[in-house]
Amino acid sequence: MLQIYKRFWAVNWAAQWQYRANLLMYLAYWVVSPIVFLAVWSSIARAQGDVAGLNAGDFTAYYLTLLPVDIVTASITIHILASKIQDGTVSNALLQPVHPVLTNVLVDNVAFKALQLVLFVPIWIALVLLFQPPLTYTLGSLLLSVPVLALGFLANFLLSGIITALAFWTTRVFAINEAYFILANLLGGSFVPLAILPGPLQGLARLLPMQLWLYFPTQVALNRLSAGEIALNTALLMGWLIVLFMVFRAVWNAGLKRFSAVGA
Amino acid sequence: MRRILRVISAHVRVNLQQDLAYRVDTLVNIATMMAWLGYDLASIAVLFGSAQNINGWLAGDIIVLLGVFRMLNTLMMSIVWPNTELFNRGIREGTLDYVFVMPVNSQALISIRRIQVWQVVNVFVAAALILAGIATSGTPVSLGEAVSFLVLMVSGAALIYALWIVLISLTFWFTKFDNNVSLLQALIDTGRWPASVYPMWMRLLVTFVVPIAVATTVPVQALRGELSPLEAVGYFAVGVAGFGLASLVWRAGSRRYSGASS
Repeated sequence: MLQIYKRFWAVNWAAQWQYRANLLMYLAYWVVSPIVFLAVWSSIARAQGDVAGLNAGDFTAYYLTLLPVDIVTASITIHILASKIQDGTVSNALLQPVHPVLTNVLVDNVAFKALQLVLFVPIWIALVLLFQPPLTYTLGSLLLSVPVLALGFLANFLLSGIITALAFWTTRVFAINEAYFILANLLGGSFVPLAILPGPLQGLARLLPMQLWLYFPTQVALNRLSAGEIALNTALLMGWLIVLFMVFRAVWNAGLKRFSAVGA
Repeated sequence: MRRILRVISAHVRVNLQQDLAYRVDTLVNIATMMAWLGYDLASIAVLFGSAQNINGWLAGDIIVLLGVFRMLNTLMMSIVWPNTELFNRGIREGTLDYVFVMPVNSQALISIRRIQVWQVVNVFVAAALILAGIATSGTPVSLGEAVSFLVLMVSGAALIYALWIVLISLTFWFTKFDNNVSLLQALIDTGRWPASVYPMWMRLLVTFVVPIAVATTVPVQALRGELSPLEAVGYFAVGVAGFGLASLVWRAGSRRYSGASS
């Protein structure tokens, strides 16, 4: 099995490496929105002294940590797979004796983010020098964030797998994904640290899985959570991981049955 | 001039037919656009839940600014992007030849070959946001402020259009330059908020290099009565000059075009 993953890695890394120039443009797009929110919130915090206990430096550190966290936990499954399901070319992958999503697509995701991280490191260093955030990382908090990031990525990967599998039923899967993306932006912590969301919205955001791969790992790395909060969120993450895995299996298998029935 | 208008109206008709041929797609697009509007308004609500103002800008001002931003963004989405794609393909495959054999102004023609007509909905939404923002802030707007707001909004959009023409014209010199418009699109999101929130280096970037702030923050400043007449005239002149310069660059570049096969 390890041999299979290694082979998939070699193929996907080589494939992603061809698109490194495009990837740089993609990074430019994706870096602007957090920087904009960073500027808006830290200018408000500077004028008022703080917002819900967060000062300008806290906001800067938060968004600049969120950027690499987002790279590590993001999933591009829908862009790899949805069009293949729609035009039927996914049948090549289905003929292989391994689960296409849990092997090839998973490794392709990892190759993509590995390359992204390589290109992002110099950008990140430049941003840190420009904004001078008070990065409150400790060795312990960084070490702890490694398993949190890994589990968070797996959960997000499964959720994106569920959304992608909807392509077996509808051609509008990208519109569904965009609607989900808007919700995830608002409730996952990309727009604002959860503490600032108004009461009921915040309660909902804390229960939903999106914050577990955006807000939670960011706060863990910044060493801003108590041991109790870390334990609670980790338990929640494990719970969601199990639920998402079961839903993914059910949706994928049902989709496959439908796919063969159509005979595409 | 009459001929150009007839060409434009013919293109709008054809593109409208395309949008109507894919009716459900068009409806899904409009629904998605409305969802983004909800996101924008929710983010403003959260912001003003914990702040009275952003660098002196009240909620009403920010909503006006969102309206102006959406006008500009609609220009990007409905005209700039689709025509950039068409243009880059034309350069690659040589189909740009057909543009230059037409007896109309080539710059006008490459600007309007593909228009997402349904985005006109977005223009109405943006106008409603501007009016709602003015009503929310409650300060009366003088005729002079209203006129300079509208004029600067148009000249700011013209400046962004001019930058686009220059960027795609560069493809005539550097054929591999097909990421031409990405920098402009990447930075467009900075236009949602007043430029004064950004650190100095970023403010310089979005004012002088990629003048998104000139097309978004500046008109709203005029509406709030923050611009001196001299500043207002200056920004307007920059828009006009940029527009003129762009058509010179386009003409110089298009003379270098020699088709894809040669």
